[in-house]
Amino acid sequence: MAEPLARSWAEPEATPEEQALAVLEDAFAEFDRIAISFSGAEDVVLIDLAARIRAGVPVFSLDTGRLHPQTHRFLETVRKHYGIAIEALSPDADEVAKLVRDKGLFSFYRDGHGECCAIRKIQPLRRKLMRLDAWITGQRADQSVTRSDLPVAQDDLAFSTAQHPIVKFNPLAAWTGTDVWDYIRRREVPYNPLHDQGFRSIGCEPCTRPVGPHQHEREGRWWWENAADKECGLHAQNVAAPIRRADLPVQRIPTRMTGR
Amino acid sequence: MRITFVKKILANGQPCAKCADVERRLTASGQMARIDRVVVADERDPQSEGMRLAARYAIAAAPFFVVEDGDATTIHTVYLKFSKEIFGRRAEAVAEAQEMLRANPDLDLI
Repeated sequence: MAEPLARSWAEPEATPEEQALAVLEDAFAEFDRIAISFSGAEDVVLIDLAARIRAGVPVFSLDTGRLHPQTHRFLETVRKHYGIAIEALSPDADEVAKLVRDKGLFSFYRDGHGECCAIRKIQPLRRKLMRLDAWITGQRADQSVTRSDLPVAQDDLAFSTAQHPIVKFNPLAAWTGTDVWDYIRRREVPYNPLHDQGFRSIGCEPCTRPVGPHQHEREGRWWWENAADKECGLHAQNVAAPIRRADLPVQRIPTRMTGR
Repeated sequence: MRITFVKKILANGQPCAKCADVERRLTASGQMARIDRVVVADERDPQSEGMRLAARYAIAAAPFFVVEDGDATTIHTVYLKFSKEIFGRRAEAVAEAQEMLRANPDLDLI
């Protein structure tokens, strides 16, 4: 199973694949309580990469209760293909029941997706991360403007607390969508059949739709919402290049991982 | 402990609605009395103190709080989490999760 691994991802000549392998190798070496977050979409690449490094990689998936049936079937395909356990994280039944009772099953079309995502995604994720010291995502810099400066490793400011720092690894940060699909085809990685129907970004069934070839994948999510919802963003053009943050009292991140 | 509250002025000169909401909650709860400084991040002025603080700490959304305690500086981007951790005021978990999502818009793509 083991393959020759990449050089340090910090080496400028490293390919995105080599870099991702090196990041994963370092992440697994650094943290025992670590897991991959798998959405059931293109981030299957992460699982394939991790499986090249070690068997039985820990994987969890946010089973929101509103996923496409194709995604559920794909999770099962991946589980069998790689011989791994996928921990399905469910939302709190009482919180879902209250939301549905008070606002119905499609409140997000009227009120925005925030409350539903908070209950079905953020809360289960937060509960899971309380039991981890690091997690690995398939986020890429090219997925949205808010991810354009995405590092391969970062202090997770969203979920860390002063008592429990958490590190987030994004091994695919430098990959493009083309890199992902080249990899999937070259290594014959199983993929969610919804991609063949024009879905570039795959989330919950009511909130995801196919996009055209020249549309950004984000346009396939929450298309009914107003861009004004994002007005809290400090627009990038007005924010100078960040220096290293000295914010959270988080644990040390290996020097190599902050130097990218 | 020294707490700085950073709120935003939009490019059109209007205050950020979320910042105004947090400021209302700070005032209503009496927490504003424990805020040492209120600083503006003016999108029209990259050199405004709030914009410089955002750049310094690589913060992408407002409002946020800078808490200096001795040699340690921490940044809080989620008001309800800040309120719980600094002032000991517990918030409803779902409301806090919702605010985390607003402050970290990438999380909804997980």
